[in-house]
Amino acid sequence: MPKLFPVQEIGSLAKPLWRTKGLRQSLSAQDLREAEEWAPKLGIDDYHDLAKGILKETDSRLRSKQVLELSTVYGLRLFEKAGLDNNGVGGEQQRVEMYEHVVKSVEGMEFLGHVHSFDYKYFKKAVVSSEIRRKHPIYLREFLDAKKHSRSPVKVPITGPYTLVDWSFNEYYLRKNQNPSPKQRKQEARREFLLNMIEKVVRPEIRDLVDAGASWIQIDEPAVTTHPEPFEMQLFVEAWNETVRGFSCKFSNHTCYPSEIGYRVLADYAPKLEKCSQLALEFANRDVPRLGIEENARSGYIALQRFVENGFDGEFGVGAVHVHDFDGNADPAAGQVVGRDVLESPELVRDRVVFASKIIGDASKVWVNPDCGLRTRTWDVALSKLTSVAKGADLAREVYA
Amino acid sequence: MVFPASMCSNAQLTGLHPRSEVLIDLTRAYDRGRIGWAQVEAQLERETSQVVELQRKPGFDYVSDGSLAWQDPLRAVTRSLAGVEAGTRYSRWFDTNTFYQKPAITGEISVDGFREEDFLRKDSLPELLKWKVSIPGPYTFSELSENKHYRNKPDLLLDLARAEREIARRLFDAGVSLVQISEPCLVYQPYRESPSDGSELDLAFDGIRYVTEGRPDRFLVHTFFGDASPVIESLLALPVGAVGIDLYETELSGLHAQTSKDIVLGIVDSRESNVEDSHWIAETALRSKNHIKTPKVILAPNSDLKFLPRQIADRKVSTLAKAASLLEAS
Repeated sequence: MPKLFPVQEIGSLAKPLWRTKGLRQSLSAQDLREAEEWAPKLGIDDYHDLAKGILKETDSRLRSKQVLELSTVYGLRLFEKAGLDNNGVGGEQQRVEMYEHVVKSVEGMEFLGHVHSFDYKYFKKAVVSSEIRRKHPIYLREFLDAKKHSRSPVKVPITGPYTLVDWSFNEYYLRKNQNPSPKQRKQEARREFLLNMIEKVVRPEIRDLVDAGASWIQIDEPAVTTHPEPFEMQLFVEAWNETVRGFSCKFSNHTCYPSEIGYRVLADYAPKLEKCSQLALEFANRDVPRLGIEENARSGYIALQRFVENGFDGEFGVGAVHVHDFDGNADPAAGQVVGRDVLESPELVRDRVVFASKIIGDASKVWVNPDCGLRTRTWDVALSKLTSVAKGADLAREVYA
Repeated sequence: MVFPASMCSNAQLTGLHPRSEVLIDLTRAYDRGRIGWAQVEAQLERETSQVVELQRKPGFDYVSDGSLAWQDPLRAVTRSLAGVEAGTRYSRWFDTNTFYQKPAITGEISVDGFREEDFLRKDSLPELLKWKVSIPGPYTFSELSENKHYRNKPDLLLDLARAEREIARRLFDAGVSLVQISEPCLVYQPYRESPSDGSELDLAFDGIRYVTEGRPDRFLVHTFFGDASPVIESLLALPVGAVGIDLYETELSGLHAQTSKDIVLGIVDSRESNVEDSHWIAETALRSKNHIKTPKVILAPNSDLKFLPRQIADRKVSTLAKAASLLEAS
């Protein structure tokens, strides 16, 4: 019988300074101090040999490659140390971030400038200005490194086509479209951009990953729940089904931080997603850190109900720990607030998993994970949270033993 | 194409203008404690002048200062109200990839702490311009807030409308000529568990009426992010001088109305970088008159241009001006 409540990573880890600096310039032994300190904690026995190689490398391209491979090893070992069952690609150490990393690999797209997000925060936005084409594989190198070093199965998270299109300006396809209705022109151009993104960029990437041995691809689509309009949701379903068509590997979807009704709408459409074996969703963010497996204690997980009622019959990746700043209080048995972090206890994770399993009605469909990637947390905090996730899953297994 | 001589057109901005890359760098540096506010302020003044000049030169009737310092479209009103706290929660601004600080309504609403400079930075700008300021309408403000005080919506809306009426009065006293009441929530509601019924919308329109009563020509109501067709008759019945619609969400062919009010046609897409052709804008504006018979079409972006990088937004303003000239010259 398969293990109940397997634990998975879901996204990126913070990038160590030596990883970021090492891509720009040569490193000194001092720069690698942090890596040296973490090596024994993570059981990286050959650290000194690897570090020596990086320190003496004079070719910047080769040095970057070594730095990226080493940081992937560190990410994988951190996940292993925490006790995860699937370590993904080691915390996406080889990517700038989920959008920029892909756009840089697409011919026909370029960054236009920054757009205001809120307060003094901005994001870089690209435009499609001509026919698009994947210039080179986007995630393959990272996957091959992860496969080489991982001691457990490797899930490859990729940014979904709907999100890539939604976060970009669409000049090229708008210029091509002659529909006199601005509304229809925009919708038609958006669909054309999306289908081309799938055909020219995303599917070739999936093909390469599958050919290289990838057996599980997680498609991240944070943009989808920001567009609850029927036209957009239908477009998302069409895009998903076209993306996965004909491939034989496992596919899962990760969508987090929806608008207020985002999960309700996603639940309506989720059963239409072909080959979607798992939905990995964020719940801890909307839950309160106190113990209990009753509905009033676990309000953050109620949104699961609608997915089940609407007939989504795949697995669920249940977000069991918060990944952003936390400014509330926690019951002592449920966790500790340290600075801007809440460190959830294994018992809180257990209760969240048990409650989610009750709603889902089949514990064998439940995976456990953080709400999203832990890139905004330090590695110490990430390790602490992930260890709680793994221990909490152990405790939940005891409940079901 | 030959435009009829009776067509009189103009152009306006409809909300927040984007910050330049220079200003973005400065605000980031300020946020990280690397520079003082004075450097940001100096750049804000320079850029406000640029945005004003962008509109003044081609002869826009009403000129906006671009609201470059605004952190989101609600914040200036939030700060002017007692009974409303800025809160710490950030929520998504409709279906965009931008966020706003969700106001928390914690007590009876009244105007307190109003500062003219929160709404308009005109001190160092040319005099004799007709200033335009955009504020969120009472319905949209209430929908996007967290109500912790009022037991029912009518009381909340009425107090908000009363407060906004007072804010508008103070803006007029300060030299503002036109106040835009932005009401996207009248036309965009997929974010709700259930769409509002007729009585709620009636209440929303009552709120706007309360704000504008007695001075209709000093107000316009602008809708965006959603299809205005279902509420167009109610919009046109409001005591305002002009009504705005988002042409990227509203099918012109679905509109059949006649009005003595000006129509603000949201014809430049504030969410796409593709800079529209001025002839296309002028032709589409003319075509719109087959669907809404109005004495005057005002060309405008469909919403705040803040969703674009600055250089694109500036080009779109210039295109609007050219399109307006095309119409007026014909």
